[in-house]
Amino acid sequence: MFAAFMTIGMIIAVFIIGPFAPPGLQLLFWSPLAGIFLTLGMARLQRRGSVALMILPLAVLLGLISPIILLYLAVTVLVTELVMFFLGNYRYKINRLWGNILFFASANLGGLLLGAYLIKGPRADPFVKFVTQPGLLILLTVLAGIGGAVGWWLGELVIKQLQRAGKIDVDV
Amino acid sequence: MLMFSPVKPENRILTQINPLLKIVTCITILSVALLLHKIEALIILVVPLLVLLLISVRIKVQVFGYAAIALLLFIIISTWLRDFQTSVISTLRLLCVILPTPLLAGTTSPSDLVRALQASHLPNFIVLSLMLIWRFLPIIQQEAQRIIEANWLRGVEIARQPKQWFSGLFIPLIFRIVAYADDVTVGLETRGYDPQAPRSNSQPLRWRLGDTIFVVSAAVLVAVVGSLEWII
Repeated sequence: MFAAFMTIGMIIAVFIIGPFAPPGLQLLFWSPLAGIFLTLGMARLQRRGSVALMILPLAVLLGLISPIILLYLAVTVLVTELVMFFLGNYRYKINRLWGNILFFASANLGGLLLGAYLIKGPRADPFVKFVTQPGLLILLTVLAGIGGAVGWWLGELVIKQLQRAGKIDVDV
Repeated sequence: MLMFSPVKPENRILTQINPLLKIVTCITILSVALLLHKIEALIILVVPLLVLLLISVRIKVQVFGYAAIALLLFIIISTWLRDFQTSVISTLRLLCVILPTPLLAGTTSPSDLVRALQASHLPNFIVLSLMLIWRFLPIIQQEAQRIIEANWLRGVEIARQPKQWFSGLFIPLIFRIVAYADDVTVGLETRGYDPQAPRSNSQPLRWRLGDTIFVVSAAVLVAVVGSLEWII
């Protein structure tokens, strides 16, 4: 249940950031805000698979708009959860930080690569432009990871406030 | 503040249609729209969607105004970047992509959607999550709007002060979301909700005459659009 509400938070973040983010860079602007909800969900659920619980329903919903989005989010979740399977669960701050960085960096990289290879015609041009410049691709991926780290930092601040209010029980 | 809501039950046109059928039709329309390049074919696709939206979903005039301004800006910018014909095609295609969403959301109740998703044999956690998102997204949006208005009363205009987003909007919003999550969890626990358990259903999904009419109408529409694009 909690995961579903965090997914709602991420969708609200899309609406808030939408008018301010330039086209093609939405993920970079979205990551610090969505990272707050991702961190909260990880902290509350604590188990492996928490990211999948939050992102897969979002992927199914967005899959109604485009199956490519569904595929890209599913790949991102798979990468994140696979790495986190070996690192451990989300009980500790450092694992939540890795989870956030991995999720947003792989979302950026996966999104651009899938966009360039799966979308046909002129709509693929912006993706091809990014993918054919490795320096720019790496820079955007690193920036998305930093955005995820900022989201984690803000999320941990919220967790502290929720702890003080007695709303969450988690190791920090 | 809800952007759209279904019209009264007596005016139902699409509310009785199988939600899975509506989802499949939306995906089909979306896919067809992305393949079209002729203005007349796109117009034939947009007009029925717009008419259905106007008669099936009650949309605030303010939202219509914002949408019209956004589309006008889109036309101006795309004409400036390319040419007028390309800009009209892109705008019509954009309408084909956007219109099915409020149409689907405004004519499908959460219970209908849950029944449809259960019939589609998706994993239980996804069905429950989708149901909660469908049900609570407008409520949480309302909460966000209330928080923004409360900030206005204190002289803080959130839209112009990004520094205030975290402390003025996100912290109170997260507290409200956590409170809702706890309430719903307690509610489902006390009612003995078990996603794995078989559930009885007073209105199981059935194929009705309306569904057949809907499928035939959609197929005719797609056939007309296809013939305009590729045959004539």
